[in-house]
Amino acid sequence: MTAFGSGPLDVFCVGLSYHTSPIEVRDAVVLNDEEVSRAIDALRERTGAAEAMILSTCNRTEFYARGARVPDPAAFVASLLRELKGVDLQLQEAKHLYTLREEDSVRHLFRVACGLESMVLGEPQILGQVKDASELAARVGGAGPVTDRLLDSVLRCAKRARSETAIGRGPVSSAYAGVSLAAKVLGTLGDKRVLLVGAGEMSALAWTHLKDAGVTQFMVANRTRERGESFAQTYCARAVSLEALPVVLPGADIVVSATRAEQHVVTEPMVRAAMKIRRNRPLFCLDLAVPRDIDPLATKLPNVFLHDLDALGQIVAQSLAQRRAEIPRVEAILEEELARFLKWHRSLAVKPTVTAFRQHFEQVAKDELERHRGRFHPEDVSAAESLAHGIIQKLLHRPTTQMRNAAGGDLEAAARLEAVRDLFGIEAGRDEDPSAGQDLPDAEQTKGTHADRDPR
Amino acid sequence: MRSLVPLLTTLLPALYALGVAAYARIYTTVGAESAVSSSHRWGPRVLRGAVMLHLIYMISRGIAEQHLPLASVYDFMSATALSLAAVYLYVEMRQGIRTTGIFVLPLVFLIQMVASAYGTVSPTIKPTLNPIWFELHTLAAVLGYGAFFVAAIYGVLFLLLYREIKSNRLSFFFNRMPPLETLGRMNMSAASAGLVLLAFAIFMGIGWGRLAGMDLFADPKTWLTIGAWLLLGFAVLAYHRLGWRGPRAVYAFLAGFTTLLVSRVITDLFVQSFHTFR
Repeated sequence: MTAFGSGPLDVFCVGLSYHTSPIEVRDAVVLNDEEVSRAIDALRERTGAAEAMILSTCNRTEFYARGARVPDPAAFVASLLRELKGVDLQLQEAKHLYTLREEDSVRHLFRVACGLESMVLGEPQILGQVKDASELAARVGGAGPVTDRLLDSVLRCAKRARSETAIGRGPVSSAYAGVSLAAKVLGTLGDKRVLLVGAGEMSALAWTHLKDAGVTQFMVANRTRERGESFAQTYCARAVSLEALPVVLPGADIVVSATRAEQHVVTEPMVRAAMKIRRNRPLFCLDLAVPRDIDPLATKLPNVFLHDLDALGQIVAQSLAQRRAEIPRVEAILEEELARFLKWHRSLAVKPTVTAFRQHFEQVAKDELERHRGRFHPEDVSAAESLAHGIIQKLLHRPTTQMRNAAGGDLEAAARLEAVRDLFGIEAGRDEDPSAGQDLPDAEQTKGTHADRDPR
Repeated sequence: MRSLVPLLTTLLPALYALGVAAYARIYTTVGAESAVSSSHRWGPRVLRGAVMLHLIYMISRGIAEQHLPLASVYDFMSATALSLAAVYLYVEMRQGIRTTGIFVLPLVFLIQMVASAYGTVSPTIKPTLNPIWFELHTLAAVLGYGAFFVAAIYGVLFLLLYREIKSNRLSFFFNRMPPLETLGRMNMSAASAGLVLLAFAIFMGIGWGRLAGMDLFADPKTWLTIGAWLLLGFAVLAYHRLGWRGPRAVYAFLAGFTTLLVSRVITDLFVQSFHTFR
């Protein structure tokens, strides 16, 4: 096994995502908690991986492992998926699995957590999914000092990306864009009344977004009464007939229409009459139907805000464009956090040298004290030991600080470390227990990093 | 106290300029929460500090001059700047919206800069200006103007946002504005407050005129102000009672506000009357 912290990260990532695989394949390899646990066990036992984590969502399934001894990680993962899910990826013509190694694999995890690799750029759910994956890995024994530190860095980076840039801003679905726009027009939606015209999937989707936005009063108007009543029962709404539209329209603040009607269901005179009764209070209309349900002429009426799918599509496109414009800023944060993580990892290499360096001097002091023990009164021995220890501490403070600072530095810094080893005849062990690296001080470690994660 | 006046005269425009910079940063970086958090903290603090110092400045001058510092057009400007900043701060605290500050504070800064640059000499107060009536009249007028200015700014912002949403061309501005309904409410609340204050100022003015034995109704400023007040009153009434919502209500208010401003300019620049600062 490659030495912990002394050189390469020794990490790989093998996975598939919506970039490489259709939904049928992605669905077939989604792993539940128990399967993840079995997969991590297999990685540890069969490849000798010191640490492992698996991220499995509807858009990606990725295996991360550190210290695994396996010649072809992709083949191993493919065989594991065949064993766990009965899916033979190697038999399929398309190459679904990708393999990333070392820094690339770590950078990929940073990108995934920041939403840069998501189907909907900047979507927030992935951050929670990465967090869940890390917690699951910790529960089933896959976590270790490097993955712990890596996930701290990844989660911090993702949070920074979301708070310091606009990567997660703006609606990216038509229904959500419509609801956001309604809130921008009407303010708080909690006290607003919604009229859903049509009882199909789009109405249900709009209901979900509006409910999330705090709306409690819904009416549903549908051509077939039974379907309307069934929808009303499921979604806590009041069912009305389509013929009653002119009567109920004035009472609604938001109208969402999504029927399959060939002609306008909500006409301009109907809206005009409703506005008169409403005393011109704003009316927000979302037309989610093709062909359109609401007469476009209604948009000319003052205080009527009518938006159809095209208009909402423009808003979504605008949001996505704004998010895309934020990618360089997110990448800058990502590189900064990645560099910090890599520096920490490289600093682990110094630990054995620093320890050996200190032990060397302590041993010299101990030997000298032993040699001159007879020249001291017994009551002075302890004072002499303290004195020697104090002098060593003072003498070594600067060199050890410099050595720690040199960690992760350039070739010159590495050469200086080598010179120290040569000068003092230090044979620093490089194949130490991984957990030994954890107590290495790191001045740059951000405060509260561990607090961001749930206690394990 | 008197020694503070020259220092504050210079300091106030500088502080308002700092406020403008802070609110500009809030406006441009809203959404990037960490980046904006420092401006979010220090922007309102700077503004609160500026308003407090402005108040101290007015009190210091009042004590030094033995009357409210409202005897010249520059005094009036400075008091209007204070009133505008104070009304804005009140609205900001009530609504928790900071992105509109950038549309109000540059005006405060400009007014105060002119007042600080040219209003350094304290005019001698006219004998006709009976302190209590005059001071109440002028104070109410200043606060009323401040409220109307804020209402006008929110009215214009309402119209801009309304146009963007109706035409579905959403810009940088859209993302930084509060909901349209909130802007409309801010516009009408400030207009209503301004209306009450201006009514009070008019009544105080009439009372002061009667006591001083002046024929106020012979003064065009009185008629023009009453006319503007009626227009503004109609706009507010139409909003509450006639269902004039959205742009129509805002246009009606802006018509009244423009009349009020024009009447002031005409009377102050072209009409020779006791009722001016000249």
